[in-house]
Amino acid sequence: MSRQFQAPLILTLALLTIVVALLVAGGLFVRSVVGQAFSDAERVRTARVHVADMLKQQLDEETGMRGYAAVRIPAMLDSYYGGRANLPLYFQRVRSDLEALKLPQALPALRDARRTNYRWLHQVAFPIIVTRGRRAALELRGKTLIDRFRIDAAAIDAALARRTALVNERAQMAVLWVGGFALGAIVAVVLAALIFTVAQYRLGVRLERERDESEHERRKSAEARAAYEAEKRIADTLQQALSERVFPALPALSLSATYVPATEETKIGGDWYDAVQLSEERVLLAIGDVTGHGIEAVVAMNKARQLLIRCALLDATPEHVLQRVNLELVRGKSPIITAISGVIDTRTREFAYAAAGHPPPVLFEPGRRARLLEFGSLPLGVTPTAEYRTHQVQLAPGAMIVLYTDGVIEYSRDLAEGEAALLEAVESAAQRPDADAATVIRDRIFNRQHVADDVAILAVRLLDEPGRVGLAGEAAEPAFAAGPKTGNLSWSDPSALRRTA
Amino acid sequence: MNESDSIKVIRFSGELEIARKNEIRNALAASEDARAVLLDLAEVTYADSIALTELLRYCITAQREARPVALVIRTPQFARLVQYAGLASAFKIFQDSRDALEYLAECARQ
Repeated sequence: MSRQFQAPLILTLALLTIVVALLVAGGLFVRSVVGQAFSDAERVRTARVHVADMLKQQLDEETGMRGYAAVRIPAMLDSYYGGRANLPLYFQRVRSDLEALKLPQALPALRDARRTNYRWLHQVAFPIIVTRGRRAALELRGKTLIDRFRIDAAAIDAALARRTALVNERAQMAVLWVGGFALGAIVAVVLAALIFTVAQYRLGVRLERERDESEHERRKSAEARAAYEAEKRIADTLQQALSERVFPALPALSLSATYVPATEETKIGGDWYDAVQLSEERVLLAIGDVTGHGIEAVVAMNKARQLLIRCALLDATPEHVLQRVNLELVRGKSPIITAISGVIDTRTREFAYAAAGHPPPVLFEPGRRARLLEFGSLPLGVTPTAEYRTHQVQLAPGAMIVLYTDGVIEYSRDLAEGEAALLEAVESAAQRPDADAATVIRDRIFNRQHVADDVAILAVRLLDEPGRVGLAGEAAEPAFAAGPKTGNLSWSDPSALRRTA
Repeated sequence: MNESDSIKVIRFSGELEIARKNEIRNALAASEDARAVLLDLAEVTYADSIALTELLRYCITAQREARPVALVIRTPQFARLVQYAGLASAFKIFQDSRDALEYLAECARQ
């Protein structure tokens, strides 16, 4: 049983224990009070009987003495002697009764009664019996003493009667106590039941809420898993779709591309590339990246791709393509997209392109270091007034153009380092004409690297001789080795960016 | 009117990325009633595409509302990113905040 179940139970049990203990104590108390009251009442009754007996013995004395004085028959004195003999015993009994009842206030009256009786015996009864002295004076004295004795006895009895009233009162109180305790017990039990019920109710509510929460958590994690799986599926589908692309087969061009979806599931985004043959000699090269991630980015990416190809089929001039795509995207409230739209002409060996907020193309030409081409207009979908410019590059035989998305150079967050690594990778790909250039570049850069963002690379090699794969290696390599060091790619160094337009 | 009263300075530093999107958005939104804005990004070393988009949208809106905005960018890495994003071609960018303030003051006078 868990802790939360125990708490209300323990509380209620503790309360009940206290209530029961109080009830038992109260019962015992009431019992003792009532018992005391009853035993006191009994004792008072006995004491009053003793007082009455005491009066009776005194009356026997008096009657016996008077009878004898009147007729002088000795038998008349029997009750006088009986009373005289018994009285001390009754004095004693009343005395012990008073002491037991703790009525010391009545003791003086008893002492007085004793003394009065003593006086009566010696000053009145004895002279009359032996017929000494004046009869009338003795009679008067006797009446005074006997009245006094009776007043004493009445005082004692009154004290006892008062005690009876007190005892009765106490018994009544005891009965009230019993009632009070019964009432208290009922209240306590009701209270305990109430507390238990409330505690049970709150526990129930809490358990329900916890169950709801855990249910919610479970549902949420299931949703997250489902979302992750959906993203994963999208990523896999994307990769497959991009890798199964059939590139235009022109004798003068060698096209290669690669797409690596982000390994972090939330980063699956909207990178894409395209190579579409426009005419016998011209091929559209496009690459783009939708800001944001997830399904929305993928949907936006697809729209932008279709749009760009459609525009290029109407008029492939790079700046016109981007301008039209931009207007459409702004009107459709699309996410912001960076892109490059370019056209390569195998006959004139010209590469024309326009960039929209996208990292610049890399150009490699035999005998020279790889370098970044010009770039720099606003991304697509920001403002309808954005303007784009077409840059033209005359390509040497064996040249290679590489388009890529920002994941290629931003993986370490140090752009200069990323660019240097890219240029180095392009050069090393150029030295391996038989290999797939895009794959070589990807492997050079992401050798054992964690690919956080999506990455797309599109490489185009202009073959120096139609049908022959490769580049003018014999010219390239020595010149390449002796070429100027252009590793300094500081953004502020204008020599790193050759304006070719 | 005092120049410093009408020019709102917004300062960011470090790496601006998706996790700071709300911070960036709120800071930028707080300047909507300013006459001119100095976006001090001198201490920014990196910005991902989400953060760049926020800055870009802000600058475009300011441009549309004829509110001058000057950007101060000093770190080479971030300057390169801003160049890529095309901001360099469309907005006023300075290396020094004093130059930027001067430019904004000039705008205010006109």
